[in-house]
Order: sequence, then structure tokens, then C-alpha cells
Amino acid sequence: MSVLKEVKVPDIGGHKNVPVIEVLVKVGDTVKKDQGLITLESDKATMEVPAPFAGIVRELKVKLGDEISEGDIALVIEAADETVSSTKPAVQEVAAPKKADPPAASEEKIVAPVAVVSISTPVPAGNPVRTPPVSFDADALMPANVPYASPAVRVFARELGVDLAKVKGSERGGRISKADVQQFVKAALVSGVASSGGGSGLNLIPWPQVDFAKYGAIESLPLSRIKKISGANLARNWAMIPHVTQNDEADITEMDLFRKKLAEEHKDVKVTPLVFMMKAVVAALKKYPNFNASLEGDNLILKKYFHIGIAVDTPDGLVVPVIRDVDKKGLLELAQELAVISAKARDKKLGPNDMQGGCFSISSLGGIGGTGFTPIINAPEVAILGVSKSQIKPVWNGSEFTPRLMLPLSLSYDHRVIDGAAAARFASFLTQSLADLRQLLL
Amino acid sequence: MSSIELKVPDIGGSTKVPVIEILVKVGDEIKKDQGLITLESDKATMEVPASAAGTVKELRVKLGDEMSEGDVIAILESGEATVEKPAAAVVENKTPAPVVAVSATPVGLAKDNSDITCQIVVLGAGPGGYTAAFRAADLGMDVVLVERYAQLGGVCLNVGCIPSKALLHAAEVIEEAKHAADYGVSFSEAKIDLAKLRTHKEKVVGTLVSGLTGMAKQRKVRTVTGIGKFISPNQLEIETATGKQILGFKQCIIAAGSQPVKLPGFPWEDPRVMDSTDALMLHDIPKSLLVIGGGIIGLEMATVYRSLGSEVTVVELAEQLMPGADKDLVKPLADRLKKASVAIHLKTRAAKVEAKKDGIHVGFEGAAPEKTIYDRVLVAVGRAPNGGKLNAQLAGVSVTERGFIPVDRQMRTNVPHIFAIGDLVGNPMLAHKSTHEGKLAAEVASGEKREWVARVIPSVAYTDPEIAWVGVTETEAKEKNLQIGVGKFPWAASGRAIGIGRTEGFTKLIFDEATHRIIGGGIVGVNAGDLISEVVLAIEMGCEAGDIGHSIHPHPTLGESIGMAAEVYEGTITDLYIPKKK
Repeated sequence: MSVLKEVKVPDIGGHKNVPVIEVLVKVGDTVKKDQGLITLESDKATMEVPAPFAGIVRELKVKLGDEISEGDIALVIEAADETVSSTKPAVQEVAAPKKADPPAASEEKIVAPVAVVSISTPVPAGNPVRTPPVSFDADALMPANVPYASPAVRVFARELGVDLAKVKGSERGGRISKADVQQFVKAALVSGVASSGGGSGLNLIPWPQVDFAKYGAIESLPLSRIKKISGANLARNWAMIPHVTQNDEADITEMDLFRKKLAEEHKDVKVTPLVFMMKAVVAALKKYPNFNASLEGDNLILKKYFHIGIAVDTPDGLVVPVIRDVDKKGLLELAQELAVISAKARDKKLGPNDMQGGCFSISSLGGIGGTGFTPIINAPEVAILGVSKSQIKPVWNGSEFTPRLMLPLSLSYDHRVIDGAAAARFASFLTQSLADLRQLLL
Repeated sequence: MSSIELKVPDIGGSTKVPVIEILVKVGDEIKKDQGLITLESDKATMEVPASAAGTVKELRVKLGDEMSEGDVIAILESGEATVEKPAAAVVENKTPAPVVAVSATPVGLAKDNSDITCQIVVLGAGPGGYTAAFRAADLGMDVVLVERYAQLGGVCLNVGCIPSKALLHAAEVIEEAKHAADYGVSFSEAKIDLAKLRTHKEKVVGTLVSGLTGMAKQRKVRTVTGIGKFISPNQLEIETATGKQILGFKQCIIAAGSQPVKLPGFPWEDPRVMDSTDALMLHDIPKSLLVIGGGIIGLEMATVYRSLGSEVTVVELAEQLMPGADKDLVKPLADRLKKASVAIHLKTRAAKVEAKKDGIHVGFEGAAPEKTIYDRVLVAVGRAPNGGKLNAQLAGVSVTERGFIPVDRQMRTNVPHIFAIGDLVGNPMLAHKSTHEGKLAAEVASGEKREWVARVIPSVAYTDPEIAWVGVTETEAKEKNLQIGVGKFPWAASGRAIGIGRTEGFTKLIFDEATHRIIGGGIVGVNAGDLISEVVLAIEMGCEAGDIGHSIHPHPTLGESIGMAAEVYEGTITDLYIPKKK
């Protein structure tokens, strides 16, 4: 006799209320273990929730647009290959929150958050599809679903463009007064954050409107989700961080010989120049701790750990998985980890955990070409290293020109945190380390 | 000699480019390719050359105007042009109208073929339409109100809420007089002068309509009587008694309402088959009347005709009268109708209706009444929106298959400068919803930052007894498994209700268990429609049960029952004895 099991949302890196952007199965579908069930989209990445076991989908508890968090029940699967003879309700078979709860109650408890959150999904504004335009049923009326504010306060908030759902009411029971709305606006003005949750109040002229089709054939392709997300992040970072890029060259002739030797000795791992750069960067971060930092208001947060983000190009766009504790790992271990995580990135299997906690990022175009570029800092980090293609160049060694393999490095830094001299020192320490790997042992 | 419109040529797709210089004036002789105006886009300034030679007859632009491709700059009198019709003598071969017209800006409005122009036109002068027109005028806009009938006021004033209430009042007096014998006051049998009753009804309507007409004048709202239909995103064609007129507008509020559903296959050509409008005409008092549809309108008319002496039968397709209201609210009405020997047949359909000499023959499906021949039949099965009758597609406004016009929370249709309000934007089709929307649309149109903020709309049936409800019903709460609590106060414990001999009513309030805030309410009984307002206000204000219970209600009133119902929920009631649970 098979058993109904609930599939819950796994650890999604502490994100809450992550929207479901795709439901990949339907009731009645037979699913294999690890088959994708639903796709979630956090502000960092999209991720699939895989089936923890094989079976038949019996019930879908989520729908498109629902916002769910870790532990929410996504669906119910009738597990195949279960030999449990018990006919007790499904809930008891799964790790219910409390054994003592009667099944019905605990089921309700688990289901509720999903339901409540889905209710609050706003009707898309400016997209008139329904008649009447406003819902008059309980969903639009129950105190749990609506801001606690009188009609006059609602009108007032609309006038100021304030989303009442974001306003904390100061009156009894959290009731929102006119003064609360005013206070909210004042606070938003002071902190420079627009009420729409946008950004920086850049007073930009409108984007140029061009009818491209007028000038020849065109095709319109929607941006991938990753492109849209990373695009928004890049735009914010570029607009808000005063970037300066320090260019330098590292002599990696010796390093490359060593790398080739390593590669020959360890055919099972692909040892790329990138792992050397990661080690060198960690050494530089240790020497110049301001580079391993984040700006938080008037404070600089210094990090005592060394997690390095690596920009990886995927068919859908740019992602930045993070390799943790680079300082504690050897070159081969890093090479292995890098191979695994790059493959994961290309297969879209990266979870938010894989992309969190970075201290400093490296973006390498060395495999492709170029002599230098301006990488955009991955906020809230304060610097990023861009790597271009190495070339054999004649280098004056004091008495003659010798052919050396030179690697162009471009270090973009947040000028609010780092000044030019420090950046020059950091870059030159980096080039020295790469030129003479023994430096890394010091 | 003929006129040529000189238009803005292709200016690289830029729209609303300001005019920074005007190089010619009226009367100037100009050569072909001579500069007319200078435009400044964000990229460059450019001179717009004349596409033909001639004399400048009229300039359509002034400094600072914002122009787009196809906008008319000037009218030129040309000796060269050979085309006869001025409008067709367009120099540009592109059709310019759509691009310009869709933008809500003033440019491109001054179409020479418009007989009337205005800033905003309101199509339909029902309660929503005239409210929108008056509000827009009060906000300083130049308004035209288009109405197909000579009288303003729409269905509500002329053939709906108002006349029906006048008749219901008569019904109430008749019933009161009848029951007065119970407490020792006897009147003789009511004598009904139908013509006088009709006149009274018309007088009531007339008072309100003339009031509206006066207010329109005071506000300088121009009214046009005729059937308006769109011919472009900025023009209506109005069929008036004296011919067709073209009206040009910058913004529009569609308020064209709804009309009774005419069931197909019914002999509508026979005057004995009526819709609500016909029934309000009060042609006669039929000996027997069949009301098809046990909703608000059907039951109100059943109440009127029953009091006037008709033998009334009601058939309703659903399993309760007044679908949408809680069953318990409807029961006192059903009981009273039954007592007045109104026959009610639920889950019944009038399938076949034939007009014969001896009456209207009706074939039923379901719990059929025995009687199959009626003197008159009233069909009150709902109303259908008029959205599909306006050629809205010519303005680019989308209309659903059923004739509704979708709008957003600001009452804007998919065409931003055209709004829609009232019955044709969706259910419920109620005058008080429409007036609220009309005001909102006018405010948004005039540039105010507004949107719909109300959370509930009350429903009232002016039957005897009245039934009124608002917000969450018990039925909905049960369906959705909402955690609610109900405070119900039976009028049998109300001194006032006992005094007037109407103890069948009750007041119930519905509260959210988590917050004790009121989320709904229903009242059945005399004046329920007046009493419900307090519940509406309480819901909108987010009142808790305690807020209502601790507000002092005057005694002895029916309104008191609302405070008492809150006390029932709180467990503090003293006018009732409710044994403690366990």
C-alpha cells in the first residue's frame, strides 16, 4: 500500500516568500526522484525544488505566483515503493511539526501560511482584466489581508503614493493613522528610499524611444530571468558605487609552468589559472582587510572569512557562485570545487546558498581575450578583479628584453571605501604574488 | 482653390515635441518648402517645411504646443490642389489620426469636423454619469453630458430605484392600514386610484429630474440628448432628434449602464410580458401576476403588485430567494410573502411562454406552480451591461463578450483617456456603486491621484420586510472556512419592533475571530436598508465589536439592534438571556 507524503520546500537559503514562477508537474503525473517539481525565483536566482522521492503527484498545494518559504508544503506525492502497511493519514508519516497534534490540526497549521500569503497577492495594477475591477469578497476584506486603515487614510496614502501594506500603524492594534502615513513619507525622504522601494532617486531623463522596425527588420526576444535579475543588480551597483578601475599586469610565466606541471601530475582535475588567482586574492585580502569589507551606513564591516565569488557565464546569463573558505583549501581542492560549481551553474542547479556570502569576486575573460575591462562591483562587496587574456610580451629585465607571459588584471573598487593608493598597493601585491608564488607562503 | 492641412511629417518617431518657434502667421503667402515652425526634440531642433505653396488661412499651433507626427500645423489655401473635399486634401499619405488620438493630450483634438468639442464627455446620465459630470465640472473641467433620453437620471431615477420606492411606499401604507385592525384601528378597504398613483410616482421622479437639470445648468454642464457612439478615440457621433452631431473630446467617461435581460423565446411583443421598466408603468393591476426571478427587483415588484391586489406567483431558478444573501435573512420575507399568499416556487424555470387571448400561458420545469395562465408576466432575471452597444472598438476600448468594459482601480479602460463606470464595469449593478465610481473617475480625469479604496458595497432589497447585507456573509465564511463569530439580535427582543408589530426581523453582525473586527452584517426587518449604513461605516473604519457595543445607541430604536448584536458577540448583552456555554 502506497503512502501519501508531503513535499516541503527545502532550505532555500533563508529566503522567505519566494514566488513560484513555474509549476513543472500536475496532479496525476508520475515523478522520479530528483525530478523538478516547481521553480522558485528569489532575488538572486531561480531554483528548482526537486522531488525527494519517486511517486505520483496527488495534490498541488501551490500555484503560479504563490510566495512560499522553507517548510511550506508544495505538494503531496503518493510515494512509490513504500511498504508501510499503516493506513493512517499521510501527515503522520511525514515529519509533522508536533507529534502530539491531531492530524487535522497540524495539517491546517502547515497549509495555512501558504494560503494566507497567496491571498495577499495584489491585483496587477494598470492591467485591467477583471470586471468588476475590485474584488468585494472576503479575501479583500479579512483583517489579515488588508491594511488596518480607514477610508480617508487610504485615500490620503494613495495621494502620496504610499503602499499602506508597508506602513506600521501606531494606533491600537496597529491601526494606521494619517500621521503614520506622513511619518512614513518623511522617513522615506530622509533615507532616500522611495516609497516604491526603488532606489536612489536619480533624476534621469526618459529612456530614448525608438521604433527600430522603421529602420529594418527586427526581432524582439524576452530577456531571460537571470538577465533581468542580474541586469537590475548591475544597474544599481553601477549607479550607486563610485567605481575606479586599477589596471596592472602580472608576470605569470613561472606560475603557468607550475600550473602545467600540476596539470600533468593530476590529470583528473583541471587546474586553471583561476585557482592561483583565488589564492593570490586571498593573500591580498589578508594583507589589505579593507578590501574584504562591506559598507553599511557609516560603518565598514570587516570580514574574517575568505569566500570568493566567481563570475560564471551561462547560456541564460551571468551568475556568481561563491567558493567558501578559499584560505583553507589547496589548489587542487579549489580546482575540483570550481569544476563542480561551474557545471552546476551551467545546469541551472545552483541554489541561493551557492551564491551567498561572497567577500570579493573574480570575473575572468582570460579564456576569451581582451587586454582590460571594467568589471562592475558585486554589491555589497567593495572590489572585484577582472582578468583578461595573458600574452607573451617582451619585458625588460634590466639588461635585455625577455619573453614573459603577462596577465592583464583590472581591479574595480568602491572609492568610498578604498582610495587609489590602497588599490595600487593591492594590485601590485597581487601581481607580485602571482609572479612569485612563494610570496603566498609568507 | 482648396484647403490643405499642413501636418507634422515623420520626425523620427519622437512624439510630443514642443514648438519653439512659429515662422509664419495667418495671411502669409508661403512657398513650398518654406519653414513653418521649429520643433525641438531631445536630439535636435528642426524646421517643418510647408509641403505646398499657398496662403496661410489658419494656424493650429502656438508656441509651446507639443506636436507629434500627423498633427495639423496650419490650414493652407492653395491654388494648386485639385482635390475638392477639404478633409481629403491631406498632403501626407499616412493616416495620422490613431497615433495622436490615443494620447490623452490636447493636441490633435481640434478636429475640424467636430460640431461640439469639450474637455470631457460623459456618456450616459444615470446616477453614475451625472455624478461624474457634476464632479468634473466642479473640478473646473468643461463637460458635456450625453444622454439618450430627454430626462437625466437614467434607470435609477426614471425606471428603477426611485419610482419603485414611491410605489413601495404606497404598498407599505396599504399593508400598515390592513394590519392596524390588529391593534384596534380599522380602515375601510383601500381604494386604489391607479392614475393618481402613477401621477404621484411621476411627480416624485419629476422633482428629482428637474433638480438634476437645474444643477447641470448651474454647473454649466452642457447636455446633448441623443444616442452616442464612438467613431474614434476622440470622437463620438450622437444621433439626436435633429440629426447627427460629432462631438470631439479629450477625455471620456462611459456610463452607459445596463438594461433588463430579455429572455429569448418570450413573446416580448405582447405588452402583458413585462420587464421591470414596464412593470413600473403600472398599466393596470393584473388579477394574476407571474414574477420570473426571485431577486431584489422581482421581489420588490411582487411586493408592490401584491399590495395593490394582484395574486402573485414567484418562480426562482436557484434554491433560495435573493441568491447572494444569507438564507436566514431571506426567511422572514419568504414567510411574510407566503402569509400574504404569494406563491413561491424555487428551483423552477419558466421554460415556455406563449401569449394567448385568455392570458400568458407558461410552461414550467421543476417545482411547477399549478397555475399556468397569468394576466401578466414580469421577467426580472437580471440586467445586461450596455458596453457592447457603443462601438467602443472604434475608440480602441476593449469590451468583454458579455458587454462589460474592464477598468482598473482608477476606472480607466485600456485606453488611458477613456474611463468607464457603473453597471457596465461589473457587478454589483447598484446606483450607489456607480455614483462612487463616477466621482472617482472625474477626479482621476482631472488629475487627482485617486483610486478605489472602498472595501464593501451594501445590498438592499426594499421588500417588506427589507433585507440588507454588506461584506462577508455567513455563507461565504463557511465556504472559505473563515474563522468568524456571529452576533445575532432578534427583534423579538426589541421594544420598538414589538411596538410596530414587526418582530420577525433580526440584526446580525459578523466578526473576524482573530481581531474581533467587524467584517460583515445582515439585517432583515423594517427599514433594514437605512440601518445597514452603520454596519458599512463600522467595516470601513475597522471597528471592533467593542467599538460598536460601547457606542451609545438611542432607545427605543431599531438601530439599537446593531449595538445589541455587537453585545451578543461580546457576551455583554442584558436585553437577552443567553445561557453561558457550559
